[in-house]
Amino acid sequence: MALENVKINASSGTIEYLNTKYIYVSQSRDLKIDRSVSYAGIIIDGKNLDFTKMVVKRIRGNQNSEIYLKPIIILNGNAHRDVFIKNLIDGVIFSFDQIPLINEHVSEINNLSKEITIINSISFEAMIVSKLLYFMFTRNLKMLEPVPYALSNTNYSFPFLACNFSDFEEFQVLEMLEIATQEGLFKHKFLDRIYLCSNCKSSHLSFREACPKCGSSHTDTFDIVHHFPCAYVGPITDFTNDIDDQLNCPKCSKKLKHIGVDYDKPSVLHQCKNCDNRFQDFHVKAKCMSCTFDNPVETLVDKEINEYTLTKKGESYALQGYVSTPKDIEDIIGTVKFDTFKTVCRYEVERLRQTEGSSNIVAINIVNAGQFYAKVGSNAQQMLLKDLVGEIRSSIRSSDMITFYSSSVILVTMFEIPTKISQRIMDDVLKLLEKLIQNNFKDLVIEIKSNVHQLNYNLSSELQINQLIGM
Amino acid sequence: MTGLDEFFDYVNSLGAERFTRIFWFFVFFELFRYMVIDLVVLTIAKILKVLNRKKTQEALNRFYLEQPLVSIIIPGKNEGKHIFKLVKSLREQNYKNVEIIVVDDGSDDDTPTIGRDMERNGFIDKFVRNEFRGGKASAANLALRLTNGKFIVHLDADCSYNYDAIQQIILPFYMDSKIGGVGGNVMVRNYKKSLAATLQAIEYYDTISIGRVVVSQLGIYRIISGAFGAFRADAMSQIQGWDIGPGLDGDISVKIRKMGYKVKFASDAVCLTNAPDTFRKLAKQRLRWDKSLIRFRVRKHRDVFYPSQHFNFSSFFSFLENITYNIVLNVKWYIYFIDMVFNFPHELSFILTMNFFLYTCTNYFKFLVFSLYRTEKNTSISYFLAYIPLMVIYFGYYLRIVRSIAYIQEFFFKKSYDDPWNPPKTSKYAKELGL
Ligand SMILES: [Zn+2]
Ligand SMILES: [Zn+2]
Ligand SMILES: [Zn+2]
Repeated sequence: MALENVKINASSGTIEYLNTKYIYVSQSRDLKIDRSVSYAGIIIDGKNLDFTKMVVKRIRGNQNSEIYLKPIIILNGNAHRDVFIKNLIDGVIFSFDQIPLINEHVSEINNLSKEITIINSISFEAMIVSKLLYFMFTRNLKMLEPVPYALSNTNYSFPFLACNFSDFEEFQVLEMLEIATQEGLFKHKFLDRIYLCSNCKSSHLSFREACPKCGSSHTDTFDIVHHFPCAYVGPITDFTNDIDDQLNCPKCSKKLKHIGVDYDKPSVLHQCKNCDNRFQDFHVKAKCMSCTFDNPVETLVDKEINEYTLTKKGESYALQGYVSTPKDIEDIIGTVKFDTFKTVCRYEVERLRQTEGSSNIVAINIVNAGQFYAKVGSNAQQMLLKDLVGEIRSSIRSSDMITFYSSSVILVTMFEIPTKISQRIMDDVLKLLEKLIQNNFKDLVIEIKSNVHQLNYNLSSELQINQLIGM
Repeated sequence: MTGLDEFFDYVNSLGAERFTRIFWFFVFFELFRYMVIDLVVLTIAKILKVLNRKKTQEALNRFYLEQPLVSIIIPGKNEGKHIFKLVKSLREQNYKNVEIIVVDDGSDDDTPTIGRDMERNGFIDKFVRNEFRGGKASAANLALRLTNGKFIVHLDADCSYNYDAIQQIILPFYMDSKIGGVGGNVMVRNYKKSLAATLQAIEYYDTISIGRVVVSQLGIYRIISGAFGAFRADAMSQIQGWDIGPGLDGDISVKIRKMGYKVKFASDAVCLTNAPDTFRKLAKQRLRWDKSLIRFRVRKHRDVFYPSQHFNFSSFFSFLENITYNIVLNVKWYIYFIDMVFNFPHELSFILTMNFFLYTCTNYFKFLVFSLYRTEKNTSISYFLAYIPLMVIYFGYYLRIVRSIAYIQEFFFKKSYDDPWNPPKTSKYAKELGL
């Protein structure tokens, strides 16, 4: 392994070793994740933990399998010691000289990645589960273990899955795993139990004993003293004086002599300094450090934390992709498979090269799809997608095609039409869609964006589709 | 000649003078004290009640206008099983501004679980537990310590209460500002359970309930029942709560009197209790009550008989009446018995029959006539009619023997300090200190 085989191109930020090209990502460079598609692996500068984490999360959280499955190598620094990052990377080097050490492992991952058939699941859940299965397959993982992680909103993190959610949505990771287990893809073994804020599902809770009347935890605690001869009962402060340590009974003025003989302390009593309430049994409250809601412990949401093992079924789906959810793409009338869509686009680019003219492809992106799908049931989800397709279909020509790239991204062809007109039609479609959603799902706010892209016959259709989706 | 004819001949032959000589016990005590005086006083009470109708209504208005917080305290051991039912009956009360405080005195059953649960669900306001049993007085004092109300109502967990019981027991405080304590009217709920319970129901009707109306009217009412009593919170803090029992019901009433307050009986504030259902259990209960009479009247509070700063006439008469008609009467009865055996040995069977006849007639008369004065009834009075003749045996022999035993045990052996009703650690001290 000779140093001279490693070629570093400082200006483009690429490193080449035996025809294998790596892209180098550091804080001083612009981060263009899309670029990584054409490289064998991504080397990230590990000096800054936050930066490293952000980049790793964006890669693993991407929806394009050519990006999220990409091998990641950490260079230098301590970032790889973070348990979250550690679970998402494929190797650590301390200088570019060490690339030969990890090169074989990178090729192995890339070869396995080629074996799998990427299928576009229509439902968000199926898409996430598929991603997980693909990732586990390419990394030869049979088991998925939660890692205790203080920065996780659920205390235990499943790092690969967590990349697909914002911090506030992280609890949905557990729901994804529940679905996958129900579908028979995983077996699970109980490890621990966590409690989540009933308001925002965060497990960053601060438990306190609080006054049952006003909820304050600003309290004093007293021993209660019972003087046997006169049956006087009161807090110990009733018996003390300022002059000496002697305890005197306020009722019969006798000296208290010997605990258990002439007096005892049968209980303790708490007094709230906020509302003066005296009580014996604290209410235990859990204040959420994420949203500040003070939960009575009885209302906390409890979830099991399990360790998951792939089943035979799960292993086979890792190769074929996971599509068998109730929200299967084929169910939706008026759409074509993504592969068909890609083929059609390729032909269209060829055609444009000869005839010139204007043809467009459009991406309709449901920006907060994860949040939205988590709130409505699978039936409602399917209905919504059907309605969306129906609405789009009625606004475009019958020769144009619709496909689901993912459950949140719909692609549409708008061939042989000026881009401006395309744009206008799409604006109208968006308005219709928004109205439709407002009518059907009253309390949900949904954000939909569209991007119209004019096909350029000088570029491959594949690249243009990726660019459109990446936007 | 049949025995009955002989008996009537005997009765005929008695002149008024000889009748009084032979049946002096009946004439002076039973007839005079428990019938004539009762009837007179009851009638006065009834008339006053009618005359005071407007005053009562005004007091009620003042009470409802002020809406004072009433603290209900329920101290006890192993009472968890009763508390739910009790609290349900309290939630039905027409007077709503109450707080309910339950003190668990070292229960060894599931009372803590039940109590905590009810506290958490807002069924009761406070549940406090003593890990070590300290006795009823200390539990009541701990509860008292936690109250915020202007009035304190002390309840027993195994009782239930009429829907207006709280209103009725607080009302007297608004009739007379000198009143420091009010006793409720306790009746027997399980009167059909056994003969012992039935006889007690009759006893509660006549002697206890009616008797308390009478002594209350006379200003010498002495025992605020532990099952249902109400106190002014300021009076309670002046006397610093309950002293060690047993018999602390009577004790607290005396202490309140000594502070210069009046103590009243509220016959309309009705509480139902389960009476002991066997004569054996009843004997145990009465031994405790009767011993406490000696312990508290004769021993602890004997100062009411001496001129002192706390001296007042109603306390004095209350004690005098109490001691006369309990202790002295009990002794007198034995004197009567000896008198008859020695002086009229040949007529004993007639005297016994005649006494039985006289007492039964009086009992019927009282039961029926007193019904006119009763505001609250358990059931139709006809249910009890068949049992009235048994009352002679119940009062005349059963209760009398129990009482005699109690007095002897307490007078000479201070037995009440050995009562397991209190934990030994507390009794020991009470005995040494003569409390
Ligand atoms: Zn929260
Ligand atoms: Zn408080
Ligand atoms: Zn003391």
